[in-house]
Formats: sequence, structure tokens, C-alpha cells
Amino acid sequence: MTTVAEPLSARQPKKTKQDNTLLRIVKSPKFARLLFPIAVLVVWYASIEIIRAIWPFAVDVLPTPTETVSAMWDELIDPFVEGTQAATRENLYATFARSLGRLGLGFAISMVLGTIIGLAMGLSKAADAFFHDWTMALLAMPALAWALFGSLVFGFGTAGPVFTVVAAGIPFVIINVREGVRNTPIELFDMARAFGVPQNRTTRHVLLPSLMPFMFAAVRYAFSIGWKGLVIAEVFGGQNGAGWTIKFWYDAHRAHAVVGYAFFFIIFALFLEKFVFDRMAERVFKWRPSAVEIVEEGFEDQSDLVESARADYGAIGAATALTEIGIVRESEQDG
Amino acid sequence: MAEISVKNLHKEFGLGEDKVVALEDVNLDIGGHVFVSIVGPSGCGKSTLLNILSGIETPTSGKIDITHDNHEAAPGYVFQAARLLPWRTVMDNLLFVQTTRDQVVKDRCQHYLDMVHLGDKGDKYPGELSGGMQQRVGIARAFSVEPDVLFMDEPFSHLDAITARSLRRELHSMWVETQKTILFVTHDVGEAVELSNRILVFAKGGRLEDDITIDLPFPRDPADEAVAVAKAQVLRKFEELDLIAT
Repeated sequence: MTTVAEPLSARQPKKTKQDNTLLRIVKSPKFARLLFPIAVLVVWYASIEIIRAIWPFAVDVLPTPTETVSAMWDELIDPFVEGTQAATRENLYATFARSLGRLGLGFAISMVLGTIIGLAMGLSKAADAFFHDWTMALLAMPALAWALFGSLVFGFGTAGPVFTVVAAGIPFVIINVREGVRNTPIELFDMARAFGVPQNRTTRHVLLPSLMPFMFAAVRYAFSIGWKGLVIAEVFGGQNGAGWTIKFWYDAHRAHAVVGYAFFFIIFALFLEKFVFDRMAERVFKWRPSAVEIVEEGFEDQSDLVESARADYGAIGAATALTEIGIVRESEQDG
Repeated sequence: MAEISVKNLHKEFGLGEDKVVALEDVNLDIGGHVFVSIVGPSGCGKSTLLNILSGIETPTSGKIDITHDNHEAAPGYVFQAARLLPWRTVMDNLLFVQTTRDQVVKDRCQHYLDMVHLGDKGDKYPGELSGGMQQRVGIARAFSVEPDVLFMDEPFSHLDAITARSLRRELHSMWVETQKTILFVTHDVGEAVELSNRILVFAKGGRLEDDITIDLPFPRDPADEAVAVAKAQVLRKFEELDLIAT
């Protein structure tokens, strides 16, 4: 009996340990993240091979990953190689600069107009009733319709795409600003009044910071929705720009360049997200508590509260929600 | 010395059928270095009285005078929740309510942070502190404006029993040290007896029903017999007035 049991018990921990390390790697989020692009490449290659086997004529039309990457590379180095620049169109950098300019202009207009309307709706019930249905109607309108309408009204050029950016982005700005005004922390205004803090200081240190999370949501939406609208508008009403250029490659039947350009869109949007908006948010919201920084006192695990606040309210509301949850838990303990 | 005089104070909310009387014909005189507790069941208008005295709300009718050496008295306020600006550091939260921001004021703010044992937390954000610590910042903020009168609206009711007890002790020694007039709203009779010279009992409908003087030496230990007896007496008055929830 003992002879059987011994080698088993000796072997078993070793085996499970090995399994665990392998399992840990496979289950780790990092591995899963890496796995996805690899899986995409495999599916991409495999499907082209399968289609080629069934229907050999398709080979010229379907872009392989290598063709796509080399098309992207050509675009990237184009302005730096003498004599290769196509006379018919602007290079990649000029194209994106132009589109970014239009996006920026449309974004600025939608932020200013949207903030004014949103403030009015948040402060006045009459203004809310006046704008409400039409804001909802704007939300339901697809950017494609605005793009077509814009190119009909303004012709080919800059005005149509900018108009589309404004029309697509503005309802999101309006709604977020309105919610921000409605959610202003009345108890903090009462506090300021009880201490006799002057109105302008209250506006600067209470009202504006309390609006910031909503303004940030407005900025992100206006930018990302505006960007998608812009590309569509440039396809129909542009004479240059990112959307026009992808159409250019489409008309030229260069599938790998179309796919390559689509990747540039993604890279462009992600770059703005990571290096502009995330950085800005980090600076503005550095007061938000994170589980690590909480100073412990007493008998309660505060980090637990932060985590549940995050889960219940999302990152933006976590800070304000935190106090409330703390209160609920504490009074529950008392009772 | 701060003098508070309230005459025929009346406050109602809403109109017509929804009308609710929060305070009915309240007359009060409070003066000097006293700790006055206002007790009563929920909805008896005790918070409303404090809000009117501190200027957050206006009375429907009646007259209020809060003076300090014959000029208008400066109020300080401690709320049920700390009510700190989450996007400002602890020190900036104290500076937010000051009229000036010179070095003297900064030193004063630091002094009151030290007093509530948070001297080293000035550059933390409120979200990084526990509930008890946040409430202490709220207390330091109220003291830091050097108020003539301090209004406190159930400041410890959201804290766990042990944190609340240590904060009560801190508050008592700060009251002794700074010689302020304090108006303290609570629904905890034990807390009121432990801290105050005078207890105002309010009944539902906003009537001031009783005015009890507690003449016991400080500091008061809730376990002490005299304190326990005083608490029992106040509770009995509650019963007489049929204030305890049925």
C-alpha cells in the first residue's frame, strides 16, 4: 500500500506545478492580448489560401497581409523617396494633416455650440423641452446621411466634411453637458454658501471641476463620432483627405491599399485616444482615488470599497460614489 | 462673545396641500462659550433650524440675530457628510473657504489640521482618506475660518461607533481650547449628554419642547453614573413628550 502511494504523492505535486505555470501563461491577459493579432493573421492567410484553392481568379483582388503591409510602408516612405510622389494626390502626412484640421474645426464648433445648448437645457426646463426631441432626432441620424446632405449643399471641398463632423458630434456634446449641469453637486454649493465663499470662486472650484467628467465624455464622443463622420463625408464630398484617399485606392482597384489605409485610420484614432485624451484625463482627474493610494484607518478595508465603487459606478463616478457607499456600509454595521 | 437670538421663527415648505411646517414659533437665546445640542426625531426641523441660522435657507417669518461683540458673527459649518471638494487636496479644501490666502492663513489651516491629527495629510486628496479622516478634515475646515459660531449637523452619525467616539473627544477638547459657541444637531441623546451644557429638545412639527441644562463636569465618560443618569433623564423627557417612535 505504501509503495504505491509514495511515488504517486511524490510525482503529483511536480506535475501540477508544471501544469499551473503553463495554465498561468495561457490564462494571462497579456498572452490573450498577443494571441488575438496572431489569430487574425492566421485566419487571414488561411482564408486567402482556401479561396485561392476554390477560385484562382480571386488571387489578384484579395490582399494578403504582406501586400497590405508593403502598401502601408510605401505610403509611409513616399514623401521621403525622390520622384515617387504621385502628382494626383497628397502624401499620407499631408492627407492626415488636412483631415485632422477639418476634424479639429468641426470638433471646436460642435463643442462650443453643444456646450451652449447643453447648458441652456440643463438650466432651463423650457430650453430642454425646446431642444430635446431634435437632439434625439440628431442622434438617430446616421453620419452617412449628413455626409450626402453636406456634399449636396456645400459641394466638393472643406465645408461639407466639417458640417458632417459638427452634425454628427453635436448631439453627444449637448447630452453630456446637460447631464453635467443636472448632476452638479448641490451639497457642495450649499457648503460654499454656508462658508460665504464668493460666487466666482465657487464657479471656478466647484461648478467647472464637477462638469469636467461630462466634458471629457463629450470631447471623446465628439472626436470619435466626428472622425467617422468626416471620413464618410470625404468619400462623397472631399477632393482630398483620408476618406477621399481610401476612395482613390478603391477606384484604382488596389485592395491592399484600401485595407492598408483602413489600418492607418485605426492607428490614427488609437494614437489620439492614447496619447492625447488619456494623457489629458490623467492630468485632470489625478484626484480620483485608486485602490493603492487609499490611506487605511480603522477597521474597514477601504480598497474593497473603491473596487466596488468602480464596478458599480464606472471610473468617472467612483470618487463621488465612494463616499455614499461608505456611508451605506457604515450605517449597516451600526444597525 | 457670540450671541444668538431667534424670535418667532417660522419655516414651512411647499404650498397648499403639500405644505409642511418645519419650524413653528421658535424662540431662542444662546450666548457665550456654550455647547448646545439640538435633539429630536427625524423630521423635527433640527437641520432646518441650523440651515436657517447659517444662511443656507431663509425663514418664512421671524427674526434671527447672530452677533459677536456687536458685529455680525462669522459662522463655521460641519455637515453630516464631509462635503469636501474631491478634486482639491486637503489643504486646498481648507484654503477654499478662507477670505485670504497669505502665509498666516496657511499656517492657521495647518494648525487646525494638526489639531485633528491630519497634519501630514495636507497634500492628499479626500478620496485617499477614510470616512473618519474626511470628517476630521471637515471639522478642521470649520475651525480654520475661526468662526464665532460653529454649526454642526449630525457630524458623526455616518461613522462607526469607535471612530465617532474618538472624534467626539477631539471635538470636546477643541471646543475647550478655542472657546467657540457650538450648535450641534444630533439624534443621539448619549452624544448630546456627553458633549453639551444645554440640550434643546424638538418635537415633530418643529416645536421647541424643552430646554435642558446639563450641569456636569467635563470630560464626561458615558460609563460614568452621573452621565448615565442624565442620559436617562433626557430619554424620560423624550417619552413624556411621546417623541420616541412608536
